[in-house]
Amino acid sequence: MSRFFATGSDSESEESSSADEITPKKRIVCCPLRFRFEELTNIIKTIRNAMKIRDMSKCLEEFEQLYRAFLKSKTIVDKEGVPQFYIRLLADLEDYLNQLWEDKEGKKKMNKNNAKALSTLRQKIRKYNKDFETEISSYKEVLNCSPNESESEGDEESEDWGSDSVDSGGESEDNEGEAASLAVVFLKKYVFFNLEHKKMEQVDEEADEEGEGEEGGWEKVKGGVPLVKEKPKMFAKGTEINNAVVIKKLNEILQARGKKGTDRSAQIELLHALAGISNENNLGEGILVKIKFNIIASLYDYNTNLAAFMKAEMWKKCLECIDELLDILFENSNMFIGENIAEDSENLAISDQPFRVRGCILTLVERMDEEFTKIMQNTDPHSQEYVDNLKDEGRVCGIIDRLLQYLESKGSTEEVCRVYLRRIMHTYYKFDYKAHRRSLGLQGETKSEQDQEESEGEDSAIIMDRLCKFIYAKDRTDRIRTCAILCHIYHHALHSRWYQARDLMLMSHLQDNIQHADPPVQILYNRTMVQLGICAFRRGMIKDAHNALLDIQSSGRAKELLGQGLLMRNMQERNAEQEKIEKRRQVPFHMHINLELLECVYLVSAMLLEIPYMAAHEFDARRRMISKQFHHQLRVGERQPLLGPPESMREHVVAASKAMKMGDWKTCHSFIINEKMNSKVWDLFPEAQRVREMLVRKIQEESLRTYLFTYSSVYDSISMETLSEMFELELPTVHSIISKMIINEELMASLDQPTQTVVMHRTEPTSLQNMTLQLAEKLGGLVENNERVFDLKQGVYGGYFNRGTRTRPRNLIKDHFQIKINCIINVVFS
Amino acid sequence: ENLPFFITCLVVLKIIKHYQEEGQGSEVVQGVLLGLVVEDRLEITNCFPFPQHTEDDVDFDEVQYQMEMMRSLRHVNIDHLHVGWYQSTYYGSFVSRALLDSQFSYQHAIEESVVLIYDPIKTAQGSLCLKAYRLTPKLMEICKEKDFSPEALKKACIGYEHMLEEVPIVIKNSHLINVLLLDLQEKSTVADKPELLNLSSSNHLEKSLQLLMDRVDGMSQEIVKYNTYCRNLTKQQQQKQQYLQRRQQENTQRQSRGEPPLPEEDINKMFKPPQAPPRMDTLLIAGQVNNYCQNIKAFTSQNLGKLFMAEALQGHSS
Repeated sequence: MSRFFATGSDSESEESSSADEITPKKRIVCCPLRFRFEELTNIIKTIRNAMKIRDMSKCLEEFEQLYRAFLKSKTIVDKEGVPQFYIRLLADLEDYLNQLWEDKEGKKKMNKNNAKALSTLRQKIRKYNKDFETEISSYKEVLNCSPNESESEGDEESEDWGSDSVDSGGESEDNEGEAASLAVVFLKKYVFFNLEHKKMEQVDEEADEEGEGEEGGWEKVKGGVPLVKEKPKMFAKGTEINNAVVIKKLNEILQARGKKGTDRSAQIELLHALAGISNENNLGEGILVKIKFNIIASLYDYNTNLAAFMKAEMWKKCLECIDELLDILFENSNMFIGENIAEDSENLAISDQPFRVRGCILTLVERMDEEFTKIMQNTDPHSQEYVDNLKDEGRVCGIIDRLLQYLESKGSTEEVCRVYLRRIMHTYYKFDYKAHRRSLGLQGETKSEQDQEESEGEDSAIIMDRLCKFIYAKDRTDRIRTCAILCHIYHHALHSRWYQARDLMLMSHLQDNIQHADPPVQILYNRTMVQLGICAFRRGMIKDAHNALLDIQSSGRAKELLGQGLLMRNMQERNAEQEKIEKRRQVPFHMHINLELLECVYLVSAMLLEIPYMAAHEFDARRRMISKQFHHQLRVGERQPLLGPPESMREHVVAASKAMKMGDWKTCHSFIINEKMNSKVWDLFPEAQRVREMLVRKIQEESLRTYLFTYSSVYDSISMETLSEMFELELPTVHSIISKMIINEELMASLDQPTQTVVMHRTEPTSLQNMTLQLAEKLGGLVENNERVFDLKQGVYGGYFNRGTRTRPRNLIKDHFQIKINCIINVVFS
Repeated sequence: ENLPFFITCLVVLKIIKHYQEEGQGSEVVQGVLLGLVVEDRLEITNCFPFPQHTEDDVDFDEVQYQMEMMRSLRHVNIDHLHVGWYQSTYYGSFVSRALLDSQFSYQHAIEESVVLIYDPIKTAQGSLCLKAYRLTPKLMEICKEKDFSPEALKKACIGYEHMLEEVPIVIKNSHLINVLLLDLQEKSTVADKPELLNLSSSNHLEKSLQLLMDRVDGMSQEIVKYNTYCRNLTKQQQQKQQYLQRRQQENTQRQSRGEPPLPEEDINKMFKPPQAPPRMDTLLIAGQVNNYCQNIKAFTSQNLGKLFMAEALQGHSS
């Protein structure tokens, strides 16, 4: 510690007191330390003066100077420690300001400048004092326990300090005022402190009187919010503990809620203690429920920041509390709770009347559910911690279930809808393996008893159906219904009930107005669409699958649209605030839809659609693309300078597409379905084997179509049996595919029934002829464009072509041109 | 007026060899022609290729290479005057901005310089195809001005036909070489040229049509561009007119009220005319399209002749 700390009789200070006559200047020369500190003390003096006359602006000004001066003397301070007088001033100033601040009337009287300066200064000093917390608190401690001594000891010493620098006549007055506060520092001996310590209680009691009676400037330091400082006794000894007292206490505690500086954890403990007391004294469930409500509320309050999530212990406590609360509620059927019960109409005492307590259990549970989501969002999904946290999901579901039971008997329909939605939200994304197994006819014979027992439970499909239908019928808010429908569709799709899912989606007309919904609902919608697409794929409806997934996949932002992660973007597009909001919308990891699976399903569907289409329209001038993304992948594949065996899922699909283009279905098959792809994608489906079989079939069919499109020009006729052998399809299937192609005029051919062959008509133009046709089309366009230029120049009626022969309509010219082109084509064809 | 210029057999062979060694498919090879001017007649007596180099070796200096090459050639007493350059072509595509620019700089520096275009595909079919081109004086003027706006081109009255002029070539050898060639002709085992009678045509036509289509597309785009420009221009003209009228009305009103007229403002600043699209590209494309058409025409007429001949032969033999 510095020699300035509680060492009044130090030689230094002696010296200074005896060196009254020596001018400050000389002292500068001899010691920088002294010079610096003198500067500080000078400023402090002015501040104290300003404080006395309540000149806040001056105070502020000086404080800033002081701050700068202190910074300058940093090196010395580092060596010597923070000078005590500095700490003293800081502490005093803060107290003084707080006092002024509290004094509402005095504040009103202040002029504008002063009031403004006051608030600025108050904030500044509070911030600044944080750096000196320990020093200030130790100073305050000393101050608290030794007010008695202050006067006698302090006077002399402070005089010394005062006379050091001040030579004005006002000195004596100043000193008088400062004495009290200065005093404490200059307590001569540590012994004093000890002595005093023993007498502490006594002193404490007397402190107020003394402070007021003896010196005007004396002010007792407040220790923050008194309730919180240490664990206080709830009630004075001997107080009869009854309802009224407990409620009063409860209100007292609650008053501190939300205020700055309230220790939130202490508050929670207090409430717990209170609950214990009321339990001990058998004050009845009413009051207990009331306290429990408040405990849970203050648990939620613990985090002031919306983005932060609950700590594990808090979370556990919260779960327990809610469970207990529900226990009480179930046990006491004569208890009414609700947020509409006014505070004064509550009935907490044990009496004949039923209990009436203000508070909403549903809101608390909803909040708990949200907290759970938040915890999951903030846990690393690949850690053991995540798994541990996820285990709590069962408890959350349990609580929701119990609440659901409770509300079904007591709550309003609106509340029931809300709690139903919660239940749905916890159900819709889970695949019901039990029901699945049962539907396959595999009763878990080999399974243990427990499993058997579990599988007795209701199918999630039935639960979903019941809950959703209730919401459809009873819900008044649009949002809950929308969410319920989406979850219902999702659940259907997840369990491959394609037609139900699709019909529900179409009937709800959600596609028309989903863009007006809020982002979380939109995310849910996107998830549902994706699930719907995947479902269609599993059921072999490739076109539907492609259409459902197109929107999500074509944007290239599937990750973001599904709320499964943020894309890297520069800060211009999104500031920190937005990023926080977006982070809060993320779907927890255990609900994610596998993005690779999604992309693979999309690409394979695109392949099955696009490859035959490309083969059929090879020579079209304006070929439309079915899937841009698929083409992009193909191009990426083509750009590869060296083609190795495919590694990633995309490469597999590209390689398969190439094989399919040649009509080589076996290679295509081996690229789409192999061990790598199985482990990456196909095994993720619950009915993997069925999906694979469907895929093989589709690949065979589409390869056959592609083959016919590509190579029909080299055949005069082809036997269907050969085709059926080539593609390992049954003859009727081949027959039907070819017939369909002929009917749709995709294939210019006819079937010869007796020989079972396809006879090509060979009316398709050759590639050269195709190109000439294209060229003719392009030239036509060119001419048209050219004419437009002339139209613009000459006006519509005075065009170039009308100049010489006014009677000749332009169409004729065009026809003329067309004929010319046709001539050229004919020449080429010959 | 365009006097034919002489070119030695050595140059022709060197160019062919160069392409065969380095050119592939649509890749283009280029080189420098050397020679001298004798009584305002150009004689090209030698040439050397530009070396192929990748983008990676940046420190390769082409100019330096050329200078050194020419110096070395002078040491062995070869004509070292830079009189032009040659380039191979792929199905007759050579009318491009790059060619225009480089030929302009050649002709600007050395008035007599020409560009030799060598078509390896036609040559492979049996007939040597080597053509010499120069920019017309009109085009030289325009390039000098560097003004490719529609007005300037209109004033210059230049069409795609007047951009390049073909210069006749005479391949002339020294007597010694002629003697050698005659000697070789007798010894040569491949006397007949079966390639000439090749009947397949679709491959060549397809390629040509593809290229032609590409250029037609380009042309369409240019026209659309020009069209939008014209429309914007008229629209702005109308706006300007309206603005002026309103201004005038207001001024007359003000005059009647005895107030001073509104200050004059720079009308051109308020209505900046839209940027006119350069028309040079359109011209070049038109030239190229013309070139393709000529090629296709020549090819088809030849082929038709061949087909008739084949038919007649077949009838005769059967």
